Amino acid sequence: MRFRNKRYIGLLVALVFVLSLVAGCGGGGGTDKEAAKEIKMGTILPLSGSAAPLGKIGQEARDMAIEEINAAGGIKSMDGAKLKMVYSDSKGDPATGVTEAEKLITQEEVVLLTGCYQSGVAMPSTEVAERYQIPYFVDVPSEDKITERGFKYIFRLAEKTSWRNKAQTEFITEMSKKYNTPIKTVGLIYENTAWGQGAVTAWEKYLPAAGLQIVMKEPYPANSSDLTPVVLKAKQLNPDIIMMVSYVSDAALLTKTFAEQKVTPKAFIGTSGGFADPTYYNLAGDACENFFDISTWEPDVNRPTSKETNEKFKQKYGYAMNAEAVKAYVGMYVIADTLERAASTEPEKLREAFAATDLKSGPAQMYAAETKFDETGQMVNAPIVICQYQKVNGKMERVTVYPQAEARPGSQIVWPYPGLK
Amino acid sequence: MGFLSVVANGLSMGAIYGLIALGLTLIFGIMKIINFAQGALLMVSMMISYWLWVATGLSPYILVLIVAPLMFLMGYFSERFLIKPVIDAQKDVREPVSVLLLTAAFAIVLENLCLMLFGADYVMAQTSFSSQTLALGSVTVSAARFYGLIIALVVAFLFYMFLQYSQTGRNLRATGQDRNAAALMGIDVTKTYAIAFGIGTALLAVAAVALIPFYYVHPSVGAVFMTKAFIVVVLGGLGSVPGAILGGIIIGLIESVAAQYMTATLTAMLVYLVFLVVLFIKPTGIFGSPYEW
Repeated sequence: MRFRNKRYIGLLVALVFVLSLVAGCGGGGGTDKEAAKEIKMGTILPLSGSAAPLGKIGQEARDMAIEEINAAGGIKSMDGAKLKMVYSDSKGDPATGVTEAEKLITQEEVVLLTGCYQSGVAMPSTEVAERYQIPYFVDVPSEDKITERGFKYIFRLAEKTSWRNKAQTEFITEMSKKYNTPIKTVGLIYENTAWGQGAVTAWEKYLPAAGLQIVMKEPYPANSSDLTPVVLKAKQLNPDIIMMVSYVSDAALLTKTFAEQKVTPKAFIGTSGGFADPTYYNLAGDACENFFDISTWEPDVNRPTSKETNEKFKQKYGYAMNAEAVKAYVGMYVIADTLERAASTEPEKLREAFAATDLKSGPAQMYAAETKFDETGQMVNAPIVICQYQKVNGKMERVTVYPQAEARPGSQIVWPYPGLK
Repeated sequence: MGFLSVVANGLSMGAIYGLIALGLTLIFGIMKIINFAQGALLMVSMMISYWLWVATGLSPYILVLIVAPLMFLMGYFSERFLIKPVIDAQKDVREPVSVLLLTAAFAIVLENLCLMLFGADYVMAQTSFSSQTLALGSVTVSAARFYGLIIALVVAFLFYMFLQYSQTGRNLRATGQDRNAAALMGIDVTKTYAIAFGIGTALLAVAAVALIPFYYVHPSVGAVFMTKAFIVVVLGGLGSVPGAILGGIIIGLIESVAAQYMTATLTAMLVYLVFLVVLFIKPTGIFGSPYEW
């Protein structure tokens, strides 16, 4: 009896042991289920180095969108799974971007990547994602080639760089007709970097096709000490339109020198970059009045939810959004929509869902009325607006003037350039 | 007529390059030190001028009365407490490169300090005459640049007279020619060095007030003018005052005139080409002579 008792106890102990193990497993299974309720994504941004402020605003825009999506109940098709973003720092350096992409995919096991501000970082880091077959949502970089390499897992929300040059050409043609000012010749002034050269290649494709003759092609070294020689040359050749690609220091210098030398073409048109920089006006002063610039979003653009979102962002972080922040913000909503339809975090299903995107409602409206990707993963309807520096109530502002539908209500285009008062 | 505007612009920019190079050539001529901090010190002068202009609203040209003495003191004391100890430590070394490295390090410290204090934003003084132009007949010149030309020429002339005829000027030149002999003649070489560095820095303050009405200020703005200042100094002859101004004007004219016939990128190359040719023909520079001082 004693013996049997002992055996019973042994059995009991064994049973308890086994049961606890099973329970432990059950518990483990429970946490697994918890984890599935959180969708982990990775973002590569320049969070240190000279481009750090640009990375920071991109991070803030993403955080705000994710907060909103999670507060609204997360991804409903996946039991209200919450979005979680892991940020990693590229330092704006392509090589670091590659290591970070690798790390996010293999160690953090993110389901998709977003980023990454610079085209230079996007080019190699998207290659990593393609190799691992993890979707990479490129929200800001605009280098044409990013979606022209036949990659399957890359989707881009931003416009291609060359589309801006195309839009500028269309704008010139349209204005020329509308205001009955014949435009024949164009002068190009650009910094002699990959960016400037790229713009010229695109201009050389689109401008002559629209019947415009390029009479001046003037590259200059970035951060010049004096741009008067270039301006005097433009004065002599006297093209109908002057188009520029510059960072902020040279943009301001050019603008001021044009004013000094009283150069008056029919229009000055900038290509974002320095002309869109908030310090540009402070540097150039009134000399920038009636200059045109191109962008994809402006605070005054006439699109649904645009004002409210910008206002909320201002309250939260103390400054306004910019076009890049809007792309980062809207990108999160495009991703949420994709996850909703995929109802899965499997890369292949995600990829299919991205490709089938056709988003026509919600906060993404502040960027584009319809978000859709072509077979290369390029957003088809990336919007482009043209704004003009105008004095509103005595204060210089960027006023969105084109296209008509998205222009600031009540705004007027000043065409041709009237010269400085 | 367009051509005359081009020449006028080249002259005025060139004179300002020359003004920036004056300090460099002085410090080299007397101390035999290549001052890599010249660009950074120009930037500091521009920063101080700009913020004083914001605070007082006075014309930048009047502010030179505050900025120049301030920069003189800064130059004087950085020589005393930074450069002199290194010179003394390397007294017996044949090729004292430590001072050169020290000035380069000093530049990096100054640039990052300004980056911390003032941030990376570009600023520009929008004075009443910033966007004005002067029309002399058919020639149009930016007012700010034209004033810059006059300031550069006047200051260079005064500086030259000062070197030639004042006692301090004679001390400076004597020290530059042979510091041991000068010391034996009773010149306080240590003090003369500090004064040379101080004056070299104060000259940058003059260049700074001439620049800020039409050029932006930024912690890295020194680099824009630094390379040019070196070319100007070597072209004109290291240690020569007229050489610095003439060298500056040559560079300014090449940049301005040549840009009418080729792209600005090629012009930048042409500057270096002319520089190389001059060095081949006359390695000491146009006005260069070991006995200049």
